[in-house]
Amino acid sequence: MTALVFRKLAAMPRLWRLVAVLGGLLIALALPWLIYPPIAMDIVAWALFAVALDLLLGFTGLLSFGHAAFWGSAAYTAGTIAIETGAPFPVAVLGAAVVAMVLAVPIALLAVRRTGIYFAMVTLAFAQMVYYVANQWRGLTGGENGLQGIPKNLFGLDLSDPFYFYYAGLPIALIGLLIAWRVVHSPFGRVLVAIRENPARSRSLGYPVDRYKVMVFVISAGLSGLAGGLYAVSHGFASLQEVYWTTSGKVVIMTVLGGIGTLWGSMIGAAVIVQVEDYLATSGIHIGPVNITGPGLITGLIFVGVVLLFRRGVWGTVAHLLRRRRHVPDAEPHLSGTTVPAAEQEPAVAPKS
Amino acid sequence: MRRNLIPAISTLAVVSLLAACGGGAGGPSGGGGKISDDKIVLGVINDQTGIYSELSGPNAVKAVQMAVDDFKAKHGDDAVSKNIEVIVADHQNKPEVANTKAQEMYDRQKADAIFDVPTSSAALAVAGQAAAKKKLYFNITAATTALTGDKCNKYTFHYAYDTYMLANGTGTTVTEAGAKNWYIVYPDYAFGQDMEKSFSTAVEQAGGKVVGKKSSEFPNTSGDFSSQLLQAPAAKPDVLGAMHAGGELVNLVKQYNQFNLKDKGIGLSVGLMFITDIHSLGPDALAGTKFTDAWYWNFDQQNREWADKFKEKTGSRPSFAHAGNYSAAMNYLEAVQAAGTDASDDVVKNLEGKEINDFFLRNGKIRAEDHRVIHDVYLAEVKPKSEVKEDYDYEKIVTTIPADKAFKPVSESTCKMG
Repeated sequence: MTALVFRKLAAMPRLWRLVAVLGGLLIALALPWLIYPPIAMDIVAWALFAVALDLLLGFTGLLSFGHAAFWGSAAYTAGTIAIETGAPFPVAVLGAAVVAMVLAVPIALLAVRRTGIYFAMVTLAFAQMVYYVANQWRGLTGGENGLQGIPKNLFGLDLSDPFYFYYAGLPIALIGLLIAWRVVHSPFGRVLVAIRENPARSRSLGYPVDRYKVMVFVISAGLSGLAGGLYAVSHGFASLQEVYWTTSGKVVIMTVLGGIGTLWGSMIGAAVIVQVEDYLATSGIHIGPVNITGPGLITGLIFVGVVLLFRRGVWGTVAHLLRRRRHVPDAEPHLSGTTVPAAEQEPAVAPKS
Repeated sequence: MRRNLIPAISTLAVVSLLAACGGGAGGPSGGGGKISDDKIVLGVINDQTGIYSELSGPNAVKAVQMAVDDFKAKHGDDAVSKNIEVIVADHQNKPEVANTKAQEMYDRQKADAIFDVPTSSAALAVAGQAAAKKKLYFNITAATTALTGDKCNKYTFHYAYDTYMLANGTGTTVTEAGAKNWYIVYPDYAFGQDMEKSFSTAVEQAGGKVVGKKSSEFPNTSGDFSSQLLQAPAAKPDVLGAMHAGGELVNLVKQYNQFNLKDKGIGLSVGLMFITDIHSLGPDALAGTKFTDAWYWNFDQQNREWADKFKEKTGSRPSFAHAGNYSAAMNYLEAVQAAGTDASDDVVKNLEGKEINDFFLRNGKIRAEDHRVIHDVYLAEVKPKSEVKEDYDYEKIVTTIPADKAFKPVSESTCKMG
């Protein structure tokens, strides 16, 4: 019976999409009842971050390995605004997104001159510069002490309980996701895909390829900033970890794990990685005499497993199977694809240690 | 037919992935009775495997467990609760990990008090969580005076040592003993900078002079301190003040010996040293070095007795951090016993201003104004190997610095208790 229902659903892409969106919303709303609320907030923030990266990696074919710069600078900005002015936290988070976008402009202008692994290296270099500035500029960032005690103001509401803060923060993340969805399903998004598939042909058709890349980079940075600001306010804390390169690596892993170029996949990847890391950090795994407490190894193994077995990522594989049943050709890129040079470099990216 | 199930299975898989590995239950948090959740939970957050795991680490957890066992044995059936748990988390010396772990301990694992937390940045994060969750935090192994200064709060207590106490003890005494000219090397992060400032002030107030100072990158991954050390002789100091901690200190002292600075008339003074550092270097590498110790296991019979019990459990001798963890846990439990509840405000009220004398706190007092726990501390000198009679018998206590002189006076504190 259920099989029949699902077969009908699969045959109706619009309805199927509606069900997916409603299901996703339902899960998002139910999340803090099911799991520890701060972790739920982490999943939402990381999901938005991964979606932002997916705009670049999945839809434009650019692997940014420096997105920690935007996530982290936004975390510091949101913290500073909230601490210094006592502004309501959505204002602080929006301010953070704006700062991330401003920071992204010069980085994007320089980085888009290169593609593939060189693009990744340039973005990494800029992110490391941001890291060192954050480390040295103690007056603003607190150095390795971090920014502590970021308040969660919202017009006098008490949001100190993470359960209630989740519902206050969720709408901001949803707006971010909506923007990403809108970008992908707009003519602008179609051009991005065209650029991914064949930059030379796009250029010959008259599209200013570099300008499109800069625009999507800035949008992606802005969404990352939204996520980073939300994350910092949720934790009440912004630290150097937020601008460190492992954060850039983690979000790339999430996106690839879930399936690049799918948006949904990024969210699933974020949920899986955050959950696994939380589980490992709380309990650890004992294999014989070896006690694996750090999440790095296990996350790395999962990543390797997914890349080897489901090259399209979790969601990518599901979508592919659905499409195959409907005899629709794949529209999204996958790791074995030849059209995405940046994604091909993917397995070379070291998992977060 | 089976293939038709794929969408169903995948949807279910996603939902269960989201739900299943969460572990802890969600929902809004609730209140509690006299003893919240019918148990007292003591959390230890520290470095379980890294550079600070020797000086506190797993053995600090054992020390807290010892306190729980002793408390149960002492009070028997009268104990305020028979259900006392010790839980542990590894913060890997990262503030953001400490922040999350502290939040989880207070919320999810129902910790009533958190202990230890080496690394100042991590300690400040835990103190922030303690204030937010209105639960107790006893800092033992972090050195920053900010915990009882700008960042002080009602639920945070600072045990054992801090940068002021170290600088005041070592800087002042060594300068007054004749070593007027100091050359200070320090790691370039919050702790090192604090130490450098505190030492410079202490040395100058005692009539000495800082003839040179040099920072080293932190973390110093290469372990190379030659550029800092080789520049020292040019400034003609009497003493080299090393402000590094743990593994970095060990490397620096090795190189100090390799460059024969001692033979060039430059003595060595160390800002912060744990007995575990001396143990890993061997006493000869450090013989004659003066430093301030918050507690020494072989100081007198009372300390020795506790150290013997500790050795039975762990196989090694305690650092002051281990003893401090025991004392803090014990005094916390006694305060809960006296208050008859683990409600934070009542326990804090019981602790504030309390005068305590135990094997760790000599002439001890918990200052109500800034929650600094003051007690006698000691200026120690490392014995040469020839005088070492047994393992860990490394220190000679030169002088006892009385509790009211050892720590920053309340009048100078910047703490505003909210």
